Amino acid sequence: MPEVEVPIGPHHPALKEPVSFKVIADGESIVRLELDVSYNHRGIEKAAEARDFVRVVPMLERVCGICSHSHTTVFVKGIEEAMKLTIPPRAQYIRTIVAELERMHSHLLWLGVAAHEIGFNTLFMWTWRDREAVQDMLEEMTGNRVNYGTNEVGGVRRDLTPDVIQAALKRLPTLEDRIAKYANMVNREETMLLRFKGVGKLTKDEALKYGTVGPTARASGVDYDIRKDDPYLAYAEVPWKVITDDHGDVYGRTLVRIGELQQSLNMVRYGLEHLPAGPIRTAPPRAAPKAEVLSRYEAPRGELVHFIRTNNTDKVERLDIRTPTLANWTSVAVSLVGQNLADIPVVVAAIDPCLSCTSRITIVNPKGRTTGEMTWDELRDHGIRFYRRKGGF
Amino acid sequence: MSPLELATVAKAMEGLGTADQVRGNRIKVTLQPGKIKEALAKAMNDLACDHVVQISALDNGKAFELIYHLTGDHRTVVALAIEIPRDKPETPTVSDVLPPAGIYERQIHDLLGIVFVGHPDLRRIILNEDWPKDEFPLRKDWKPNPDTYYGGVRPEAK
Repeated sequence: MPEVEVPIGPHHPALKEPVSFKVIADGESIVRLELDVSYNHRGIEKAAEARDFVRVVPMLERVCGICSHSHTTVFVKGIEEAMKLTIPPRAQYIRTIVAELERMHSHLLWLGVAAHEIGFNTLFMWTWRDREAVQDMLEEMTGNRVNYGTNEVGGVRRDLTPDVIQAALKRLPTLEDRIAKYANMVNREETMLLRFKGVGKLTKDEALKYGTVGPTARASGVDYDIRKDDPYLAYAEVPWKVITDDHGDVYGRTLVRIGELQQSLNMVRYGLEHLPAGPIRTAPPRAAPKAEVLSRYEAPRGELVHFIRTNNTDKVERLDIRTPTLANWTSVAVSLVGQNLADIPVVVAAIDPCLSCTSRITIVNPKGRTTGEMTWDELRDHGIRFYRRKGGF
Repeated sequence: MSPLELATVAKAMEGLGTADQVRGNRIKVTLQPGKIKEALAKAMNDLACDHVVQISALDNGKAFELIYHLTGDHRTVVALAIEIPRDKPETPTVSDVLPPAGIYERQIHDLLGIVFVGHPDLRRIILNEDWPKDEFPLRKDWKPNPDTYYGGVRPEAK
């Protein structure tokens, strides 16, 4: 059978990075992958050079709709380092609580998407219902469900009132039960074991060689977590541990994310119970002195980096953003080689690439003899049918 | 592993550049021109830096700067900084020794027009395919030209 080229993507307005994949496949097995992320470049790095620190933060919040808090925290953290500001502990705790809630909603979203890709829609409905509780907490704390608008240079913009803290603490036990249920389910549920185990395998050496970050790296046994390696916010004070796993496949990545859900929940509870008293912001100077800062942050998808150079003005001279998806891409290209076409949805979804609703697929014979079109849904159905046949259902 | 000491880095980079402790667990090495390959090999072999965090690229008006942020088991970020002249924006690729650098180099090539000599695949990755060939939006002297077509939907003729 000749090799065929399978373009996947690219456009969907809801995504941070509409990505086009070109998959070269030989029959059912994948030979090579190519990537193009050019479809929705918005020039945010250039635009950031033209806005002062007050106006640039809301814009950076819109780099990504899922990790909106990550992008503002990493930026204000860098500017505060350049200005040599000391941030009040209460503000640091509030930032940490919002950051961990954001990780929880992102991981619950991921678990739902991964379940959907393997045709396990019941789990998809369950996790998204639980995610709603997390988003309600975020709305009560910050006033917003998606772009929280809670950060500014010098601290946070909204204090947590005792009512809000009590309401949030009341929601946690139910969530904890639900997460324990998922942790139990992933070890026993037939569909998940069949579709996750041994799929998208990445050994520890490969994970190191290809520079993976976040849950993808930790599922291959690499304990790379910026919250521990380069502590920021309140992570040095809050008790938690890095979750790693040795499976190295999609199953391992699921275990790591469920483990992190539990850790995040405990951190949120600790933060709410031990919230220090005091002010929530300090007044920053208007301009930042000449400085160069590499600000690192553990976003839900992995290490997020903002390189900032300031120049004695109230604007950045250069802001260079490196997102975790870009760092993880090289490893996806490696872990998909030799795998089945049927596994693309779940392996690609396993790095959580802000790509879950990629829209369209075309199958083209390179010699132009046959051309067929396949939507992402059809590819998903193909994957489900493939495994039904293989499993003899 | 314990964090790297400034003296260790300075010793490894002797003759290649000057090391400087920016803050705890951040060490910056300012390299002499054309030494990036040697310095990177030293960092990978002697300093156990096997992970590239980011290749920051910027235009300071006089030259282009590339800063390779590397880290490893010791969790110290070693930054190797080089300057590239504006009139000849070329530097050897490091993607052969450090595979994840390949995708970052493509991005820098696209936005700043720096050519990474020896890179196997310097195609467009960030900008759209109908973007004009010799315009690089992150250069400080770049201004959008109202008469140039930058891709996307063409404005209707009046």
